[in-house]
Amino acid sequence: MLRFATPIFFMIVGFIYLIATLNLPKARLGDPNGPMYFPIIIAVLIIVSSAVYFFQEWKLRKEEFKEFQLIKEGRAPLYLIATIVLMLIYTFLFERIGFLYATMLFLGGLMFLLNGRKRWIYNIIIAVAFSFITWYAFAELLQVSLP
Amino acid sequence: MGIDMQYVIEGFMVAIQPQNLFWIALGGFLGTIVGMLPGLGPATAIALLIPITFGMDPTSALILMAAIYYGAMYGGSRSSILLNVPGDGSAIAATFDGYPMAQKGQAGQALAISAIASLIGGLVAVVGFILLSQPLAQFALKFGPAEYFMLMIFTLSAIVALAQGAMVKGFIAMGVGLLLSTIGIDLQTGVYRFTGGNVHLADGVDFLVVIIGIYAVGEVMYNYLTIDRPLGEKKNIGKIWITKEQWNRTKWPMLRNGPIGFLVGVLPGAGGAIASMISYSLEKQVSKKPEEFGEGAIEGLAAPESSNNAASVGAFIPMLTMGIPGSGTTAVILGAIVMLGLKPGPLLFENNPDMVWTFINSMFIGNIFLVILNIALVALLVRILDTPPKTLYPIILLLAFMGTYTLNFSMTDFVILIVFGLIGLVMKILQFPVAPLILAVIVGSEMEQNLRKSLVTHDSAWGLMTASPITIGLVILTIISLGYPLLTSWLKKRKLERSMGQ
Repeated sequence: MLRFATPIFFMIVGFIYLIATLNLPKARLGDPNGPMYFPIIIAVLIIVSSAVYFFQEWKLRKEEFKEFQLIKEGRAPLYLIATIVLMLIYTFLFERIGFLYATMLFLGGLMFLLNGRKRWIYNIIIAVAFSFITWYAFAELLQVSLP
Repeated sequence: MGIDMQYVIEGFMVAIQPQNLFWIALGGFLGTIVGMLPGLGPATAIALLIPITFGMDPTSALILMAAIYYGAMYGGSRSSILLNVPGDGSAIAATFDGYPMAQKGQAGQALAISAIASLIGGLVAVVGFILLSQPLAQFALKFGPAEYFMLMIFTLSAIVALAQGAMVKGFIAMGVGLLLSTIGIDLQTGVYRFTGGNVHLADGVDFLVVIIGIYAVGEVMYNYLTIDRPLGEKKNIGKIWITKEQWNRTKWPMLRNGPIGFLVGVLPGAGGAIASMISYSLEKQVSKKPEEFGEGAIEGLAAPESSNNAASVGAFIPMLTMGIPGSGTTAVILGAIVMLGLKPGPLLFENNPDMVWTFINSMFIGNIFLVILNIALVALLVRILDTPPKTLYPIILLLAFMGTYTLNFSMTDFVILIVFGLIGLVMKILQFPVAPLILAVIVGSEMEQNLRKSLVTHDSAWGLMTASPITIGLVILTIISLGYPLLTSWLKKRKLERSMGQ
């Protein structure tokens, strides 16, 4: 039941957080339990609200759960998964092959993904041009040292 | 307490320094553009531009970010009027009468009146800012830890309560935000909390990365879902000016909705979106011809436009006088200026009156600049609406990564960015409000410090809540803000059941 996945997920988050809080080391300065108070309040807040959320969803259990349909429509799943993969590759390559090459690959990948292969000249121009513009803006104008 | 003319003049002189004029113009221009683009709002624009503010002096950074904010209020209505697609929440009300006007061939007048209304709302609100900010800062000087803690509770609960129809989800979002703020070394005792042994997390999760992830990466991915849908046809603009009769019809609506929008903006939780809705329905109620509303009544466009811009100015008051942002956008701005070493709060007005006045004057200049920009260059601006989103979104993603990199030069932050982008996407899909999370991440640590400081003097939660008349007042306000939506939905339900029964 997809409908209950979110409330149950947050309830688990709340309980894990609560357990982690109760296992925090005691403070040597001041109140030994000082670091725990605020997190305990937060944990209770999350657990209680996700319980209420669960019951709200329980009341709707006979209705169709439509929220995730948007993701499945058209080419959206392809766009999302490919973008996430590209972002991860970018993270992996950024320091290894240097900013310029990594960025051209990343932007180029996104452009081909969204605009298709037919507009390959346009895609390549945008990817290369914006990689250089960004490099210039950050490395030269803002003096950020890029790998 | 009067206004020291010397500071007013000095502030004006600083605000018209070439570099500050440049930031006003740049911010206003960028804000207008981002505001125009469907689905992207001021918070995204500011989150993306955070790296530019590094190395700037805090006053200029504040001027720039404020200009982006109210610039987005000007820009948001362009696409509402021409395409019937609001740029962001604040511009929804502009579609009600703005688009019908464009359909009747009055697009030029609609664009003109929305710029003029924004100007009037903005100027009224700047005057309101001058009148209200100093007394409020004076009042905030009386605040101790207990008062601050309760004020934060009230602000958070107001934000949650105003997340229409999604209070429970709002509480969960707020809880997650607070949870994130507790990661890292505990400031009072040095205990490591929830770092899982990762050295990078000892300083906590960088809230700016969270912001960029949710507002930039998350928003872009959410917009992917509808990227293949064709937009409506853009209307021809025609002559950009209004007639004498239109001015007479709109001058009072613009003037009276400025203060309304301003006050709504000052309140925690409510922003431009709510201000413009309130103004729209109010103007409809007082109108002699309410039947024209929705068919292209020019007052129906002028009122919310004046109001939402005024709200964006008002929203700076709680942030600057008390250090507590009342909305997602001001929370982002607060996060950015705190990074630059500025600490907003009541003392800012005592110690840096020059800065405050420079800021106020910059808003005057910025609003005048924007009305010129939006009327004279409107033909050029609307061409930006033709920029294909499929080119724009990859560039926004790249900027998000660059912004994140300049914060700590860390690849761990890239992973955090991607994770929060996904969280932002899922929250949007499941209709979780984002603002409570952002606000909680930013004020969470302050809130905990204030709670623990006040627990030293007041030994129980009850003692804390009844520490002073101010805390009692804030407790009552919190109860009202949380109880009111519950009450109205219950009353609605009962009314519905009764009418069903009959």
